[in-house]
Amino acid sequence: MMTQTQRLHFLISYMLQEQGIDKRIPESFEERYSMYRGLANEREARPISQEYLHVQDAFLQEENAKNITFFDDLEPVKDNLYIWQGDITHLKIDGIVNAANSELLGCFIPNHNCIDNIIHTKAGLQLRLACKKIMDEQKRKEAVGRAKVTKAYNLPSNYVIHTVGPVVKNNHVSLMKRELLQKCYRASLEKAEEYGMTELAFCSISTGVFGYPKKEAATAAIEAVRDYIDETQSEIKVVFNVFTDEDYDIYQELLA
Amino acid sequence: MRKVANYLWVEKSGDEYTLIMTPELQDDIGTVGFVEFTKAEEVNKNDSLLELEASKTVLDLASPLAGKVVAVNDKASDEPTLLNSSKPEESWVVKLTNVNEDEFNALADA
Repeated sequence: MMTQTQRLHFLISYMLQEQGIDKRIPESFEERYSMYRGLANEREARPISQEYLHVQDAFLQEENAKNITFFDDLEPVKDNLYIWQGDITHLKIDGIVNAANSELLGCFIPNHNCIDNIIHTKAGLQLRLACKKIMDEQKRKEAVGRAKVTKAYNLPSNYVIHTVGPVVKNNHVSLMKRELLQKCYRASLEKAEEYGMTELAFCSISTGVFGYPKKEAATAAIEAVRDYIDETQSEIKVVFNVFTDEDYDIYQELLA
Repeated sequence: MRKVANYLWVEKSGDEYTLIMTPELQDDIGTVGFVEFTKAEEVNKNDSLLELEASKTVLDLASPLAGKVVAVNDKASDEPTLLNSSKPEESWVVKLTNVNEDEFNALADA
């Protein structure tokens, strides 16, 4: 059986060959991982061989298994609402929500540390291909405030819900943008229930490169989720996934 | 009489209600580059009226009222930037009839 470092050599060689590039492949796991990730991030959404996917899946399954947090081990802050600080791709849960962009194909910037990039990287190339299929059928860009569902492939979760949040410039949140952000949450919850999910983890939609001020975003997010649960009497369990201590404190204060 | 809802002006003239882009909406979305109007003859409240791709966002614009779609701004399909115009006769979206007048009256005044 190949080691993880050998699998990376195979995956890198495969993608380099696809591009017709001859490049030296580094020796260490870390350098190889970074090169592999960058190549996978840049790769256009076109079919790939079963041979590649077989090795990729073996690699990602083993990597992703190293860090798993089980939803069942989390404690709610209030009723069915949870806050969890960590990498959303580590969470074993029914569904996770990805902050996508209107192309819906995942981040193409090599090794970019946005949530979209991390989710696509750890799910594997199948995720971009599944999104491409959705977009080919839709025939136009994905509007802000809707939600699309795919499988999660190599991630520990079962599904990924992709939603496009509003972009905010200069910290100015118009009423429309606030409502659009809330539509992202509502549309994701509706899709989750349509697919029979009973637990869903949201990242802080729009707050990264999309520039939505964090506290305002958290306030709108919590309000949207609570309104949905109140109106529909849903029993869905919702995790607000945060990354930094600052984000954690914001949610803790707003939910408590 | 003019109302505002879902970032659209609703202009009532007799039985006909014209939905028009508001300056706030135009400002939020930027230059419009592509539009596709609904093909539905009847819309419910919050049904999509048009999908647009603009410089700042991709948006699915929802109807603030239920009604029968009697006209869409077809010219904007060929020339999407008409929706950025400050002239209502250029930046209108759709015209509705069979609108419940009480629902119209319940909308915020523009």
